[in-house]
Amino acid sequence: MRTNEPGDDKFAGLVCRLNLSGLTVTKIILWLLAITIVSFMIGVGVLAVSGDLPGAHGKTASPFVEGGSPGNTSSFTLVGATSGAVSITMGAGELTVRGGAPEDTLMEATVFYRNAEWQPVITESVNGSQKIITMTDKGHTAKEWVAVHSPNSWAVQLSNRVPLDLTVHTGAGDTSLDLSHLSLASLVVENGAGDTEITLGSAPVPGPVEISLGIGDLTLRVPKASNTRIIVHSGVGDVSRSGLVEQGGFFTTPGYDPNRPVTEIRVKQGVGSTSLEAV
Amino acid sequence: MLQNEQEFTRILKERLEGTLAREEIDDIVSDYSEHFRMGKESGRTDEELCKSLGSPEDIARELKALHLVKKAENSKSCRNIFHAVIATLGLGLFNLVFVLVPFLILLVMLFVIFIVGVLFAVFGPIGFVFSLLQLAGQPAFAIWLNPAAGAFFAIGITTMGLLLIIGDYYLARFFYRIGIRYLKWNISVISGTEEI
Repeated sequence: MRTNEPGDDKFAGLVCRLNLSGLTVTKIILWLLAITIVSFMIGVGVLAVSGDLPGAHGKTASPFVEGGSPGNTSSFTLVGATSGAVSITMGAGELTVRGGAPEDTLMEATVFYRNAEWQPVITESVNGSQKIITMTDKGHTAKEWVAVHSPNSWAVQLSNRVPLDLTVHTGAGDTSLDLSHLSLASLVVENGAGDTEITLGSAPVPGPVEISLGIGDLTLRVPKASNTRIIVHSGVGDVSRSGLVEQGGFFTTPGYDPNRPVTEIRVKQGVGSTSLEAV
Repeated sequence: MLQNEQEFTRILKERLEGTLAREEIDDIVSDYSEHFRMGKESGRTDEELCKSLGSPEDIARELKALHLVKKAENSKSCRNIFHAVIATLGLGLFNLVFVLVPFLILLVMLFVIFIVGVLFAVFGPIGFVFSLLQLAGQPAFAIWLNPAAGAFFAIGITTMGLLLIIGDYYLARFFYRIGIRYLKWNISVISGTEEI
């Protein structure tokens, strides 16, 4: 035998207060059930009409984008150029840049994507003796930084043989730059949101080295033997150092000598930790 | 072993305090006093009567469990059913298996359904927004195989989440009622009385 339950029907009471146009809990449930069934049926119908029905043509049973391309590789030769300028702009995703491109090749880029339209646009031109390459995510917009998980992944290999001006802009995502074997002439790195890891080589970089981050952690590694000075402007977050000497508001490698060619690195960190390491 | 009525009622009172109201305790004690009075009139000793009634601690445990189950029945809340279950557990070690395990299984099941419902209800609208952005040509938001289908799937996922939450509420009510009946039956079996 059921008794009157004061605490029992709080939910029902709430629904009753929302009793618009005679809506009852039963009606609400039936409406939700109907909307659920109809929505799924229309969704499956759209997939069937567009040929994207899961299970068809070897597709997995999921309405979500899955997996990625096996990797689309493009190579760009030096063609007699004695220096290079590479600019990479990525909306969202994972970017890996390192040296070791094949001989006579300025850049070899492998792009992993989940949708054909997400392939970047890569242009190449020659300015005197300099070969210029731009690799741009054509869907890149300022809004993309809100995308948490990007399906894109780019792996770029650059030439170790020629001096290189490298510019990297990423909206959101993790960026890993192993530039330890490159002959960098200058370096500009901007990352809106995501972790950034940069490893530089011992050869001095004559041009500016500027690293600017919005939100995310930065790990910057320089060789102990290099003649490097690092200037850090950090917003919110810790700055830690390992193997570096702090002097006059700068961080320098142990054997820093301002009279020798210097790699001067300027770091602007928004929100996130900064880890500076001399290895 | 208890020898007299005073000791019996003192222990009974002590064990019931804090759970039952003063008037209820007085009623219970007066019932037992009456039992002692009638027993003595028929020539039985305090010791015999104490032996026949059993341990006042056990009686208090049963009365407390019964009281808390009734309280949980009359005023439905998580706190009350939790207290009722704990009190029933105190009636015997085997109730760890027969009461605690089913109670925990039900609790986990209801919690999982609720969490899944909330996740669906939250991520459905997000999926819907992503499908619109994907339709607007923003590849970074492309989580759906087909954005138009994704919009409908997102609506379906949202409403399914709401259905799960509502269903979970009614399921919880159903199991609450079943649980109360089961606890009553359990107490009656242990105390050897008719189901309350």
